[in-house]
Amino acid sequence: MRKILILALISFTQFIFAQNKGTITGTVTDKEMSNEPLPFANVFIKGTSIGGNTDMDGKYTISAAPGNYTLVFSFVGYQTVEKPVKVEAGKTTIINQVMAASGGEQLKEVQINATVSKDKETALLLEQKKATVIKESIGAQELAKKGVSDAAGAVTKISGVSKEEGNSNVYVRGLGDRYLNTTMNGLTLPSNNVNKKNIDLNLFSSNIIQSVSISKAYASEFYGDFAAGNVNITSKEFTGKEMFEVSVGSGVNSRAAGQNFVKSEGTGQFGFYGRYGSNPFARVLSHGIDPVDGGAPIDANFEISAGRSFNFEDNSKLSLYATASFERGFEYREGPAVDFITVFKKSFPNSKEYQYSTKTTVFGTALYKINDNNKLKYTSMFLNNSSDEVGYYGFKGLGENRDAILNTDEGFYQMNVQFNQDLVFVNQLTGDHKFYENDGDKTPELEVTWGIGYNNVFAHEPDRRRVSIENYQFSLDNDPTTNATFYNNNVFDNQRYFQRIIDEELNSRVQITYNASDVLALNFGYNGRIKTRDFENIRYGYNFVSNNIEVDPNNIDSVINLENTQFFQNQQNKLFNIEVFNKIPGYADSNFVSLPGTNENEYNGQLRIHASYVSANITPNDKWTIVPGVRLEYLDQRIDYDVININPNDAGFRKVKEVFLLPNLNVKYSVTDDSNLRLSYAKTVSVPEFKEVAPFVYEDVTERIGGNSDLLNDPSFSAVHNLDLKYEWFMSRGELVSLTGFYKQINDPVNLVIANDATGTQRYFRTGDQAEVFGAELEVRKALIKNEDDQTQLGFGFNFTYMHTQQDLKSTTGLFTATFNRDSDELQGASPYIFNANIDYSPTQFENFKPIANLVFSYFSDRIYALGSGTGNIVQKGVPTLDFVWKNEIGKHFEVNFSAKNLLDPAIERVREIPGSDDVTLSKYNRGINLGLGLKYKF
Amino acid sequence: MKNNFLLGLAIAATILTSCGDDDTADIIINDNSVTNNNNGGGTTNPDTDVELTGDIASSITLDATLNYTITGPTIVKDGATLTIPAGMVIKAAATGADVYLAVEQGGRIVAEGTSSQPIVFTSASNTPNAGDWGGLILLGKAPINSVDGTTTTTATSEIASLPYGGNEPADNSGTLRYVRVEYSGGKADGQSENNGVSFYGVGNGTIVDYVQVFEGKDDGFEFFGGTVNASHIAVLNAQDDSIDWTEGYTGTITDAYVKHGASHDKGIEADGFNTDVANNGGYFSKPTVTNLTIIGLGSGTGNEAVRLRAGTQGIFNNVWIEGFEEAFDLDGADAANPTGAGVLSGDLVVNSVIFADVNVKMKNDTGETFSESDFLTEDANATGTDFATWGAGWTRQ
Repeated sequence: MRKILILALISFTQFIFAQNKGTITGTVTDKEMSNEPLPFANVFIKGTSIGGNTDMDGKYTISAAPGNYTLVFSFVGYQTVEKPVKVEAGKTTIINQVMAASGGEQLKEVQINATVSKDKETALLLEQKKATVIKESIGAQELAKKGVSDAAGAVTKISGVSKEEGNSNVYVRGLGDRYLNTTMNGLTLPSNNVNKKNIDLNLFSSNIIQSVSISKAYASEFYGDFAAGNVNITSKEFTGKEMFEVSVGSGVNSRAAGQNFVKSEGTGQFGFYGRYGSNPFARVLSHGIDPVDGGAPIDANFEISAGRSFNFEDNSKLSLYATASFERGFEYREGPAVDFITVFKKSFPNSKEYQYSTKTTVFGTALYKINDNNKLKYTSMFLNNSSDEVGYYGFKGLGENRDAILNTDEGFYQMNVQFNQDLVFVNQLTGDHKFYENDGDKTPELEVTWGIGYNNVFAHEPDRRRVSIENYQFSLDNDPTTNATFYNNNVFDNQRYFQRIIDEELNSRVQITYNASDVLALNFGYNGRIKTRDFENIRYGYNFVSNNIEVDPNNIDSVINLENTQFFQNQQNKLFNIEVFNKIPGYADSNFVSLPGTNENEYNGQLRIHASYVSANITPNDKWTIVPGVRLEYLDQRIDYDVININPNDAGFRKVKEVFLLPNLNVKYSVTDDSNLRLSYAKTVSVPEFKEVAPFVYEDVTERIGGNSDLLNDPSFSAVHNLDLKYEWFMSRGELVSLTGFYKQINDPVNLVIANDATGTQRYFRTGDQAEVFGAELEVRKALIKNEDDQTQLGFGFNFTYMHTQQDLKSTTGLFTATFNRDSDELQGASPYIFNANIDYSPTQFENFKPIANLVFSYFSDRIYALGSGTGNIVQKGVPTLDFVWKNEIGKHFEVNFSAKNLLDPAIERVREIPGSDDVTLSKYNRGINLGLGLKYKF
Repeated sequence: MKNNFLLGLAIAATILTSCGDDDTADIIINDNSVTNNNNGGGTTNPDTDVELTGDIASSITLDATLNYTITGPTIVKDGATLTIPAGMVIKAAATGADVYLAVEQGGRIVAEGTSSQPIVFTSASNTPNAGDWGGLILLGKAPINSVDGTTTTTATSEIASLPYGGNEPADNSGTLRYVRVEYSGGKADGQSENNGVSFYGVGNGTIVDYVQVFEGKDDGFEFFGGTVNASHIAVLNAQDDSIDWTEGYTGTITDAYVKHGASHDKGIEADGFNTDVANNGGYFSKPTVTNLTIIGLGSGTGNEAVRLRAGTQGIFNNVWIEGFEEAFDLDGADAANPTGAGVLSGDLVVNSVIFADVNVKMKNDTGETFSESDFLTEDANATGTDFATWGAGWTRQ
């Protein structure tokens, strides 16, 4: 009773005091970000602990007893500002403050943290809160904190997103590559791989990323070809005064360590290949097949970055930034490799693959801030990534081939020696301009943003060597009287393969925003892109004179060499001639039996899109934002092809012109200051890619995949209806809970299915009338321990997605056909469950030591890789991934970073489901744990 | 300083070589022999030499006084009939798989030779080799089991991607009588080659009698489903399987003769269904093979005469197998490929067979348990087919 009385008394006195106080309030804005509100800036009364942080909208409020004070505004990396203020009892004093990035000595602090507001997690959350569309971003700071070294890792930290281990496929809500788009600074990025629509996000290391965002809901400015989302990479924007840093690192893969690595003959350690200038036939004759020593499997990376800003007298500022990096890695995979549709066509219980990959990035950007209202940005990027892979299939002599000639029970063996190099060039110029009606207006009357980009891709698969051998078990015994022999069912069982793709794209965007009033803003925009692809390949096969040519599998060149090559008819004692599909004209029937040829397959794809849109931002009050929009898009797509083994009555091309009218609506309702309810509806489309329509078949060791030009017949596209409903609650700084429900209807969906021919080729078909996706996403980010400055010390986040997908299936006819033994199935690529979680620990109590430790877990459940026709589906089994990253800043200049990735080292497994029976494993391997240690020095 | 300079050079050189240099030799092809061998070597005569390629959309009869050369995909379209008089030799440009004669669903070929005047399809090359050109492809509307067989749904052919299959067992693709196909089997892609004669869903209204495939790069005769009955067929020196059936083939093969050359695969390779697709029809291949002779290279050469797999059924009568390590090899162990079950139910049986120079008469890899005598009955009086008599005159040996 007495305690209560005292408590009441204390409360009362406080109440009395408060009555006598005055209030200081105001908004802090960020000069570096066009005077956007600056959240989490510190505002304190000098010499006291009275004060706090600005909120999401940059606002602060301080109560203080009447008197004269000095108010101190500070923010990491920004100039600290002191302002005198007089507080009067019961009155409110307004002090608005603009803060600018600091110069001089303190600038180093900026560099050390590599932090400007836009890449801060908290700032991006703010952006997400303010955004008129459903969009999630992850910035450089968060990437660093979560130990993410590239954009691919970044997107998987976003809810509903999963990535396939071991390749670049990203899935957003179960919809894969063909339903995604990737842009940089709002301009289309090319794919580095003929088999993909989207560029491999692994190529974007964290030092060229400002932030990565995924828009899962459509808005008018996106190309109409949108179903799952748009990944946008905002490239690095350096705004500090100067910086220079160097880092080196090294690492090892637990499964690669200790292996004797091999690689293609003729390729360089830096991922380049010097023989593109030579005719493939000359390369076949000049160079052998056997792989060469691949060096010790020690991963390494090197990176150098420099930036400098120049301030000019007219207050304009030019910031230059460049970075160059090289990274190499080794991976060793061992496990079964099987081709099974209804029977074991090929089965290798033991296969092993050695992969050496490199990644070279050169990135430069120039940011020219003419004044507060006009900004230009030029970005240039060169990427080279290479993969040097040697695979031995059936290396224990237990391989089987159903169509083997000498022995169908054992001893079938293949070796595949393959080098891929992708060179990507991206050049972009973008601009932002603001026009004010009157000086001093808060909101510009007109805002103009524009960009133009020019991209080139050169994707090479030069001189892939593949050999097929029977009775390999004889090479493992010590009996010199029995030996392995070449398998020679088809002349291309032993082959050299050459493939080249050249892509070129010009694309542009412009948007004019007219801020008509506080309530209404209108956006008018245009997008255009012109893209072409040229594809060509040629292949040479060794045609052996009999089924009994013996060979030592470790020394193929002892048999396949110039001396044993038959060049002319009637040449005696030769072992093989070299065949090609299309011999050079005039020599088809000649005395020559080994001659160069012309291309085996060629195709040329063209895509032209011109689109204009109009949308409105209607904000009748603080609570509502309504953004209706409509886009009118003209699409012209054409594919011309000259490929082998196609219906001779086929026209050899398909072309289509479509005009899409795509309405959409985004509504945001601010339930409270900290929470929003969002609704989004959009009609979009999904159009086929070049690789899906080019009826060329790529023959892998255990898989054949080809295109189908009928995808451009009527209907030539899928109409997609998207509906999203999202609730988000920004609990406090860096904390968030959101719940989203989504629905998609995809008409005439495209799936990868085994075509109804006798080759087991998987092709793309419009397999039904409609697919439906519905699901829910839950995301939580929570601070478990905060310091006195409200910074998270121990944080925790997770997101969970559940999806239900269904599509109807029907038989299709046309150039190729597919039939099904069922009426419906799940959608290809959709995992019913996706789960991502992370724990971050970043204590701040040490003066010269800033450690950050992070544990990241992700999981996706089983999903369909390819639909079976009259048999079970190919299913990618679920994969859990656990990464640990530990970064340590020691002093101002030095950083020591440790990482341990893929700690669980799960099996990556693909199976063929067999109705009523056990699954057949098609491939299964472990990627190994990657341990890395890196040093960074900042000058 | 000098050392540093040299080191710099060394590093630069290392980087250059590390980038992959090009030490590819120049290839110089001395072309001084080609003129002798241009498509048969003869000069062309515009009055008598005719190139065949493209669509044959309306019925035509070839003129026996002219020389025809197939130079590209030649397709007899739906509703058209190609008639070839006895004794004609149709040449095919030796440029590979894209040179073939195909008879589309609804089209017909009438090639009626005689034992003294067979019709010959052969390579136009002076130095012909197996694989010089594609071959004959017949496509019909008879049932196949890769689709359900009761509708007109089709599959597409392994070569040329032409549609086949349907629900008309009595479909008629025309007549092949006293026809010889030589040097066919050009490669179609990295795993497919043309056969000598391919029957895709061909119906039993079609007449196939006295047909030989000589020196083919791939299979001799291949039956992709269908109901066609073939009599007096001979395959010599096929480099893959001499006779191949799959996809629910249910016709009869009467009097068949197979002889292996140096490069070869099986004498007969038989599948119950197309294992690259699925058994959507729910039934298996089950032909009746009567009077069959298969001659191999000797039991010491590790050869195999007949491979039965993927649930195929079939009734074999009067079989002669000579010169093989293994005679019959049965594969297919699971519910989807019940080759062994066919033996147990009597749907796969060899009623009378004689073996000469054969080491293993039956190899059972089906997982089912049965004895050799459950599957085959040796008969000392079995004769195989009398190729010497019916093959006389019109075949090449």
